[in-house]
Amino acid sequence: MTTGKDPIPLQSHEGESDVENEIAELERRLAAAKAKRCCSSRSRVELSSLLEQPLSRPDLSHHFHLLLSDSALPLGSFAFSSGLESYLAHGHKSNPYHPHTSFAAFLPLSVSSYASTTLPFVLSAHRNPTLSNLAELDDAQDASIICTVGRRASIAQGRALLGIWERSFSPSLSPTSSPVSAAARDDLKSFALLVKKGGGSKETPDASAHLAPLFGAICSVVGLSLQQTAYIFLFGHVKALVSAAVRAGMFGPYQAQKILAGDTVQELITEMIKREWETRVEKAGQNVPVMDLWFGRHEVLYSRIFNS
Amino acid sequence: MNSPFPKSTSVPGEGHLVAKLLPEGISGLETFTYQYPLKLISPSRPSEDESVLVFLLSYGGGLVAGDQVNLKVDVRPKAKLTIVTQGHTKVFTSTSPDIVTRQDMHVHIASEGALCLLPDPVQPFAGSVYEQTQIFRLEDNASICLLDWVTRGRTARGEDWSFVRWVGRNEIWTIPTAEGDGKTESRERLLVRDAVILDSNRSHPELATLRDSMHGVGIVGTLLLRGPLVKSVGDFFLAEFAALPRLGARDFRSDAAKQAAALAHSTPREKWRAERLVMERDSKLLWSAANVRGCVVVKFGAPEVEDGRLWIGSMLQEEGSISHHFGDHALMCVR
Repeated sequence: MTTGKDPIPLQSHEGESDVENEIAELERRLAAAKAKRCCSSRSRVELSSLLEQPLSRPDLSHHFHLLLSDSALPLGSFAFSSGLESYLAHGHKSNPYHPHTSFAAFLPLSVSSYASTTLPFVLSAHRNPTLSNLAELDDAQDASIICTVGRRASIAQGRALLGIWERSFSPSLSPTSSPVSAAARDDLKSFALLVKKGGGSKETPDASAHLAPLFGAICSVVGLSLQQTAYIFLFGHVKALVSAAVRAGMFGPYQAQKILAGDTVQELITEMIKREWETRVEKAGQNVPVMDLWFGRHEVLYSRIFNS
Repeated sequence: MNSPFPKSTSVPGEGHLVAKLLPEGISGLETFTYQYPLKLISPSRPSEDESVLVFLLSYGGGLVAGDQVNLKVDVRPKAKLTIVTQGHTKVFTSTSPDIVTRQDMHVHIASEGALCLLPDPVQPFAGSVYEQTQIFRLEDNASICLLDWVTRGRTARGEDWSFVRWVGRNEIWTIPTAEGDGKTESRERLLVRDAVILDSNRSHPELATLRDSMHGVGIVGTLLLRGPLVKSVGDFFLAEFAALPRLGARDFRSDAAKQAAALAHSTPREKWRAERLVMERDSKLLWSAANVRGCVVVKFGAPEVEDGRLWIGSMLQEEGSISHHFGDHALMCVR
């Protein structure tokens, strides 16, 4: 590899034997460094195992954190674009308001609007996941989603989550050893019954199973912190938006991951959680009025790939 | 000794209105009190008697920073009340963001009573801070028609969503009828909570400014409808929304075929609709309508305030039942 024509100027004046010596020296140093690495990594393992014992029992909240933030959680989120598709259609050249649509402009607006209308319901349900509060929040949210398309999306995903709880999560939690209390399970069970029974009038059903309050309650029951719950909830919204943008052909999967990993999304979510931390559900509301128009007018799109 | 002037309550900005059905079968006022800065006027010799008309005014034509208006309205069984304004409700600049100008309305509508509230839009000036809460509690078969709209401000002075904060919240509740027959639902129930929060405080630099987030819209409005007297107008909005041309659909017909189809608009309604659609397109007005728990919620937005007014006026006039039930005076602010 090293010859007289070696491009590195330092070596170009050196003789054959110097080069041989240098190789030998480098090889020796490499071997030494490898040995050192071996030792130090062993000692690190030893150190960490001293500090941190393997868990005698799985950390349930950590496990559910992963489950609930997984894109594979079958909520059907991929079917909804949260107004993105309609926003793009309205940004067409025949466009009323905006000739230039961009995902970079839509994302912060959408997250802000979603946080302002919906996050308080998640937070309240997490703080008090009892049956009475859950039912009340569900009813209040049903009254405050003032568009057919949004209501459809919220109920479809909420019912899917309730189904996952009933069929998958709840049966897999050991009734004796898991930290999930029997009372909490009973509350969710009664809520599911309320939804199934379909009581109340057609106008005002007893329970609809909207996503936000159920998400808050279930996260609370499996031990996720309020902050974690809020973060997963808003990040889930961002993931759904980004995936919708990929499906709508706005950009590819690498760009999608770049957006998801970026500082902007992290800071945005953190700021939105801070903004809505104390907001009572009665004070929640729409802060981007045109979002309601785009959302509501998803119904009048000629062709649609999403349900919202 | 009856004073010809309505009594004043003692708390500033408080007012109370009670509409009842008079023996001769028309609606009239039973109670009618107000206190500065709120002002109520009811014409003594009304030209129409479908409903009793009240002007909701404020001294000086607007609300000064820190003004608190708190109006209580009761509509007795079978009475019909119409509330209008005389020009935009101006909200003057606040010297400090903590000084909130507030307007609250608590309305109770008894069985078969009705309220039509189609005011002029609220016009918040640059630097103003305004919160409005309107709560409507309806007994069985009570009706409400409510328009809540806000403009970007004084465009002549370059205002474009330049206020500090504007919050509008409307709630419709059903409540058990006073002399309940025991059959009706015994608890209060929230039907719709519509809330718009426009705040100039961006909590993150990535977020658009309030002005940018409005996307060129100069007026946004919400029409809420509930009850038997406004059922037909609600159905009308839903049907017209369903009849909107699909966005992104292409028209492959030749110009001659389009013209022929336009001429074939046989009914006046179809002709009106075709004209309205042109107007919607030209004025860049967007709207949607939805049925939410037995209430019809219409949302609209347009770059120009007058276009928004023309549109909502045209819809309500074409359908006609608001004039029929409340009289033409109910529509005076949307014409």
